[in-house]
Amino acid sequence: MTAVPIGETLDVSLTVNGATVSVDIDPRRSLADVIREEIGLTGTHLGCEHGVCGACTILLDGEPARSCLMLAAQAEGTAITTIEGLATNGEMHPVQQAMHEAMSFQCAFCSPGFMMSTIALLDDNPNPSEKEIREELSGNLCRCTGYESIVEGVETAVKIMGPTR
Amino acid sequence: MAQQTSGLGFTGQRVKRVEDERLLIGEGTFVADIQPEGALHASFVRSPFPHANIRSINVAAARRHPGVAAVLTGAEVNAVTNKFVPFITMDGLYTPLYQAMSDTKVRHIGDPVAIVIAESRYIAEDAAELVEVDYDIVEGIGSIDRALDPSLPQLWEHADGNVLYDGTDTYGEVDTMFTLADRVVTETFTSHRQSNQPMETRGTLVEVDPVTGHLTIHAATQAPHFLKWAVAALTADQSAVSSLRQFIGKKDRRKAFAGAAKDFLKTNGEKMKKADSSGQTYQMKKEKGLLKAMSKMGLGLLAADDYPTVKSIDIGGGFGAKGPVAREDIAVVVAAQKLGKTVQWIEDRVENLADGGHAREEVFTLSLALNNDGTFKALKCDLILDGGAYPSFPISNAATKQLLKVYLPGPYDFKAYQIRGRIVASNKGKVVPYRGPWANECWVRERLIDKAAHELGRDPGDLRLQNMIGEDLPRAAMITGPTLDETNSTKKTLQRAIEMIDYDQLAIDKAEAERRNHRIGLGIASYLEAAPGPPNFGDSVSPGTDMFLFEDGRATVEADGKIVVYTSQSPHGQSHQTTYKQVTADEFGVAMEDVEVVWGNTDRTQFSLLGTGGSRGGPLGAGVLRMTSRQVRQSVVREAANMLEASVGDIVIENGNIHVAGVPSRGITYADVAAKVASTKGVKDGPVFEEELKYEGVGNGGWSVATHVAWVDVDLDTGQVTIPRYLVVEDCGPIINPGIVDGQVRGGVAQGIGAVFYENAYYDEEANLQASTYMDYLVPTAMEIPRIEIEHMETLTDGENDARGTGEGGMIGTPAALTNAVSDALGIEVNEQYLPPARILELAGVIEPD
Amino acid sequence: MKNPQFNYHRPGSLSEALALLDEHGDEAKVLAGGQSLLPVMALRLGRPEHLVDIGALAGLSNITAGPQGTTIQALVRHAAAERSTDIATHAPLVSAAMPHVGHRAIRTRGTVCGSIAHADPAAEMPAVCLAVDATMVAESVAGTREIVATDFFEGYLTTALRPNEILTEVRFPAWSATAGGTVVEISRRHGDYALLGLACLLDVTEGLIANAALSFFGAGGTPIRVAEAEQTLIGRPPNDETFAAAAKAVTEHLEPGSDIHASTNYRRHIAGVLTRRGLAEATSKIGVPA
Repeated sequence: MTAVPIGETLDVSLTVNGATVSVDIDPRRSLADVIREEIGLTGTHLGCEHGVCGACTILLDGEPARSCLMLAAQAEGTAITTIEGLATNGEMHPVQQAMHEAMSFQCAFCSPGFMMSTIALLDDNPNPSEKEIREELSGNLCRCTGYESIVEGVETAVKIMGPTR
Repeated sequence: MAQQTSGLGFTGQRVKRVEDERLLIGEGTFVADIQPEGALHASFVRSPFPHANIRSINVAAARRHPGVAAVLTGAEVNAVTNKFVPFITMDGLYTPLYQAMSDTKVRHIGDPVAIVIAESRYIAEDAAELVEVDYDIVEGIGSIDRALDPSLPQLWEHADGNVLYDGTDTYGEVDTMFTLADRVVTETFTSHRQSNQPMETRGTLVEVDPVTGHLTIHAATQAPHFLKWAVAALTADQSAVSSLRQFIGKKDRRKAFAGAAKDFLKTNGEKMKKADSSGQTYQMKKEKGLLKAMSKMGLGLLAADDYPTVKSIDIGGGFGAKGPVAREDIAVVVAAQKLGKTVQWIEDRVENLADGGHAREEVFTLSLALNNDGTFKALKCDLILDGGAYPSFPISNAATKQLLKVYLPGPYDFKAYQIRGRIVASNKGKVVPYRGPWANECWVRERLIDKAAHELGRDPGDLRLQNMIGEDLPRAAMITGPTLDETNSTKKTLQRAIEMIDYDQLAIDKAEAERRNHRIGLGIASYLEAAPGPPNFGDSVSPGTDMFLFEDGRATVEADGKIVVYTSQSPHGQSHQTTYKQVTADEFGVAMEDVEVVWGNTDRTQFSLLGTGGSRGGPLGAGVLRMTSRQVRQSVVREAANMLEASVGDIVIENGNIHVAGVPSRGITYADVAAKVASTKGVKDGPVFEEELKYEGVGNGGWSVATHVAWVDVDLDTGQVTIPRYLVVEDCGPIINPGIVDGQVRGGVAQGIGAVFYENAYYDEEANLQASTYMDYLVPTAMEIPRIEIEHMETLTDGENDARGTGEGGMIGTPAALTNAVSDALGIEVNEQYLPPARILELAGVIEPD
Repeated sequence: MKNPQFNYHRPGSLSEALALLDEHGDEAKVLAGGQSLLPVMALRLGRPEHLVDIGALAGLSNITAGPQGTTIQALVRHAAAERSTDIATHAPLVSAAMPHVGHRAIRTRGTVCGSIAHADPAAEMPAVCLAVDATMVAESVAGTREIVATDFFEGYLTTALRPNEILTEVRFPAWSATAGGTVVEISRRHGDYALLGLACLLDVTEGLIANAALSFFGAGGTPIRVAEAEQTLIGRPPNDETFAAAAKAVTEHLEPGSDIHASTNYRRHIAGVLTRRGLAEATSKIGVPA
């Protein structure tokens, strides 16, 4: 039983991009705010803060989740991956490489959410059809591109990663 | 001069974006990502009512709230800031003066009345809820019809009702032409309020130097230099007299000002003579306080010892909404100055939907006089624009009205033209430029041409070809003034588009669709855009406008041989860093990684009023860097020729190797030449070669043109519309980077699709905002936007920087092509731009309106 | 758009959670997936004094499905229900609803029971519950009670759940081998709340419709079954003519509201369209697992 009265803080421990992190926070704070402000990973973006735009999408225990629609407190004991956790040894993740190759983004503010959704999609369905790609990505808004280049980015990722997992 | 560099040929290639190297790994620097230790956070108290007088405001409880650093009322902020004065004046236009916040009256939902500064945004929002405002509610103006009703309350006391401008421009013998023509086709067209909606909202972070008081402002702004000016001018908190005294007492400032004025007059003397001062006179007459406000602001600017530094690194889209100076920016500066602390305001989406910028709420009555053989004679338009509550600063929708005036005849031949334009005030969020702010000229003209074609029993494409300016119908200029040359290849795009339509297949598809209770339709739309346009374009809009349209570029070679170019553009998704590296690297004959592009820091870049906007980044931004780089290269080559004991004409540069033609093995590098010059000059770092240029484009054209073709499939059971094919045939001249141009075109089309089928910043008649979250303002997703086919034409001219802008066009053609296609599908004349499924079924006669 | 303050509770057991709710009554809100509650809080349209986070409670994430019926516990996420082959076999209407619930990142967090307890009239799950006569199991310190769907949905965002109760599970009755069902809807954009939608099922024996349910969402303050239209189906063969008659009855009896996205007339019209489409699709699914 944990109880935190108004004005007091809560210890939350979680794994972020493979590292264990503990933060002492006001329990009303969203996971997105804690990732950005306490953990200092500002690659996760806030576009609407009410769960529509998808820019704040992260992977929570491997599944995509809106970090604006979670309290950080709810992430206790979970393992999350943010956009900063994708590259290994300075080399872009295949999805990042693919999005670069396809010139997928313009302002790229929405890009972390799209890439997280893409990773989740390809994890489940390594060789999706265009319709499946569009359906999956329809939870992420982009205002610059008209989406075609992002869809091509996913298709390029399939080529890089192979159609099976 | 002959080709001196091999140019590695980056220009024209689909070079991948260098921006991605930071943006795709989560290492971008957007304004919300800058989080200095101890920064305070702002939240605004905003009006929940469209129109009300403020009886009182009580901030005591909010100030007492733990964690709150300050609460400033509108009156407190306004007491130390100046009025936003009109930047664009026209005879007959009254532009309301307003301040950073509202203190006695609120004019739209979201109008800021107090600012709370606290340790966190959470606490700031808690305290904002404790501010008590006693409002006396006034009837709201929520539609153009209500704005025209003189019996309803007016927003601005010095205005004549809620109509702020009413003026008519006439070109040629309109009435005669209308009398002589065989027939007149008329329609009234209504377009709805839309919103730019960049995925990153607005935001500002103000740092105050504890010793000097110097301000550093990190902002999501398309125009950092203008923001710098505006902050200095609007926060010059002293009387005009003391500013003047202070200015006179400062020799350096006086000297600098005199120098700048002299330069400006030298460049713009002729242009200034043309400028029309009747607008200012009119405004003065309406508002006696204008002169005082202007002198306070202007002299404050002169007296200022120090202007803020504005920095914008990564910006998450803008589409025009981040060009204007936000009222909030000024309030945040005041708060930071008062507290002597860093203050950050990151707009949230609800704020953004209410006051982050709206556009395009316009009504047109358009009449086309033509002969029965299809020949266009004359065009008449009566236009009303809803300007919302506060005009955006510096570019208000008076500019939109003027641009609409110039563009409306489009690429067609008319013997006469008249346009009456009115601008009205309403209790709605401010209207800002939105990607092709004048885009409705294309919509209403192209829609009316289709209607005329239907009345005459003609094919719409064919009727366009008959009347479109081109090789078989040459015209030296638009009827509204701007010169035309071969870059107006609109007709070629139309011809190509028609070739690419398979009319036989269309007939088959239409018949097949009917069997499914669907209807398929095809719509065409053509337009031209001055990007940058001919030299007389600015004058055609408003005499003297072109004074501010130059682009300034600077190129340097530093002591270590590094090539650094400086742009006053403020990229927010257009990939300037990539394209400018392409162009510069080719001009210097080096690799792209040998070039650094500097942007987004007003201490390091040249002044520009406009920043990024108006499809200028390609033609002017890249153009000036090319020209400037060339001059620098020529200086380097002269020096290299000395070093190699050769004549300048024999020097070539290949991949950074500067050598005598034919002897690459004995070449030297930029680093070698720079080192030599540095040692001669006795400098260790910084630029050893540098040039700065102002540039306004080349030639008599500079037109970016396109024809859009939309195929729509309407489900008559549900009113849902899909777009089985969408084609853009466009000509923006030689393309610097096709990957980037395609992205611009597709992004614009997507916003046009959103505008027609999904997005509506809807207010009721009393001006209550109904689309206040993303549950109700519907930005289309990947499921709603189809693949978009693009055909490039690339008309070349003799001019060197022949690239034409392409940022806005996508959005200009789309509503016209789509509504023409829906009209064709349903066999009706659509005269409204917003077509949600319920409306589609009403138009199709399947259901009745409620 | 930041959450207002609240007292945060993370009970270690269901009984602790129920005790907290009993203590704080309507000043408390249960937080499970949070996909409906948290946006309301961020917009400061809701400000519970106490938030009881049951997300970490053990033993509330089970799906039990078999020929006797299907039970979905409080913390079963939409994504888990969507993936469950047991649910697809034994409660196919639930599976059919899942792809319509928001987007994937919402479904990975949001819970089936949370959606039912939130009772958004435009949401799919309440209409599914009404279509199949599901039973909601509410627990409080006083014990457990079962509420049938017809009694559960009382009004706009209002259910028969008392402030001190948690919806600990929802029970779906056995699925008839001769039944077919589906969920169809029209929304402005993919993934949006429906302008109007239909959860429907048909049970066909010996070529005639023996049982039918037409449960609409987005048509009023609660999910709505149109009994008059259902009656027209009984005893008739499942064909276009039968479905058209039902659609006509639907449009005659349904009185949906209007908003900025669609008029009453539009919603009434598409109710008829969806009736025809839904019943045809449901018929095609008889004997086919979802």
